Amino acid sequence: MMLEQIVATREQPQVRESIDSQTIAACQRGDRNALRMLFDEYKDRVYSIAIYSLGGDPAAAADATQQVFLKLMTRIQQFRGDSEFATWLYRLVVNTCRDEQRKQRRFVPLADSFLSSMKSEGSPRTNYARKEISDRVQVAIGELKPKLRWPILLKYVEGLSYEEIGAVLGCSKGTVASRLNRGHKALSRKLDDLRGQMTFD
Amino acid sequence: MFTRHLSKLSSAYCHDELSSEDARRFAEHLIACQSCRADFDEVKLGATLAQHLDVLSAPPSIWNNLVAGIDHPPRALNRFRFLKPLAIAAAIVMLIAGSLWLSRNINSSSAQSWQVARLLGTPRIDSKSVSDTGKLAVGQWLETDSTSRAQLNIDDVGRVEIDPNTRVRLLQTNPTEQRLELAQGRLSARISAPPKIFFVNTPSGVAQDLGCAYTLEVDDAGNSILHVTMGWVSMQTSNDEPVVPAGAACATKRGFGPGTPYFEDASENFRSALTRFDFDSAAESSSKHSAVDVVLREARARDAMTLWYLLSRVNKDERGRVYDRLMALTSAPEGVTREGMINLDPAMMNRWKARLGLSWAEAIPPKHSVWTKLWTETLGRLNGLQGKR
Repeated sequence: MMLEQIVATREQPQVRESIDSQTIAACQRGDRNALRMLFDEYKDRVYSIAIYSLGGDPAAAADATQQVFLKLMTRIQQFRGDSEFATWLYRLVVNTCRDEQRKQRRFVPLADSFLSSMKSEGSPRTNYARKEISDRVQVAIGELKPKLRWPILLKYVEGLSYEEIGAVLGCSKGTVASRLNRGHKALSRKLDDLRGQMTFD
Repeated sequence: MFTRHLSKLSSAYCHDELSSEDARRFAEHLIACQSCRADFDEVKLGATLAQHLDVLSAPPSIWNNLVAGIDHPPRALNRFRFLKPLAIAAAIVMLIAGSLWLSRNINSSSAQSWQVARLLGTPRIDSKSVSDTGKLAVGQWLETDSTSRAQLNIDDVGRVEIDPNTRVRLLQTNPTEQRLELAQGRLSARISAPPKIFFVNTPSGVAQDLGCAYTLEVDDAGNSILHVTMGWVSMQTSNDEPVVPAGAACATKRGFGPGTPYFEDASENFRSALTRFDFDSAAESSSKHSAVDVVLREARARDAMTLWYLLSRVNKDERGRVYDRLMALTSAPEGVTREGMINLDPAMMNRWKARLGLSWAEAIPPKHSVWTKLWTETLGRLNGLQGKR
């Protein structure tokens, strides 16, 4: 492998939409339109993280998502801007999903019906092979230990930086790097048979 | 720094989390180190696989439910003909939900308080302000003023939203009974526990959850109005216990008990005539008679539910014409006779109720019924807990 090839394998940082401070201030004043903007901005990613962390149960994920935004409504006045809004929000997400997991008391494997019904609106991944890969990845991620699963969800669903993931999960950047490393390797071992179908950009 | 293997940096390199200088050194190291290169390949495969996680679309109902916490929820208006399949579907859902609920609670100890979340303004628990969250213990009052709202969360049972100008008190909380008193104001309940676990006492009756979502309002005089948006709710008094299906409402007045349930999309004339019939104590019998005239004239096929209840509420002389109108709106079940219905034969009444698709009796288990036994036995088989309850 040449140096240029190795360097080319690095990801470009993901660009995330963000809610501006005026919108957050409007939410703190109870502005319904601002809340709707905030909800629209984050709802799909919050729901996705919830569904992947709650064993693929759409009802539990919808319930958790609703709880997240309800907590957000009641607590947004406490947000002082000391951290990124996304970091603050995803702490709510992680804590809510963890509470929900505790309530469930047992991990429910991703249901076949859920996998077969999942689709990403507007996604270019429409062919069967990619759908199959996507389904298997979701199952494999569902089987990871929570401490390896959370960094992967926050990285790939939300696109948080290592520092932001550390702030959400309450651990150092180095710990995030280590857990992501282990998570990636675990995924790789579980799905090694898909290696030939992967396209390395 | 790079004299040893660098496999721990593989993910950070993939995600561009290393400084440019460290990234270049890492890349140079990979060229020279076969072990780290193999490790990097493994991480890279994992990272590529993880990129297949789709962002899913959240159901629109989430926003609607959030808004419902601020505005009043829309009332479901189910068509009569869909009631029967809905009843069956709801029964299946309740069986599954009930089994899951019991499986979670079969060995759990009961909570002694409910969680309170502030939604708007400053709700109060026994005159003490609720900042964001709090707990409502048995015997305590939760009050909202004109600018405040709150939500009660009961683990594994459901949620109750408390509207402005409302007073509620927690009366009982244990695995087999969760009971709230609504003294004044309005609440919206969404209950996921098995039927007959959640109750709301009002000054004029008790709303008993049968697997549902509903709104209950009590005015200054202690009269109440129940609007059911999903499933069924029964309104109990010492003398009566009408069961109200989704899309229907039931008013209850102090000194009178529950009125006749009606679908909320019935005509204005129908509803006001029914109110006169149910609650106008000063009305002469002729006035009651004319109110029944209007109800019968305005009744649609969907309103057969109301007529079925009316049969046992009118005097015997009136029953014949109520029966005839019922016959005109729906066909009589086999084995039912006019005479039997006028005499309120229990078996015939039940047969017609089932024909109307208002099969709550079949779908909703009485306490300690076959359903409860079925839940317990199913759970017993699943969890090896048979015989523990």
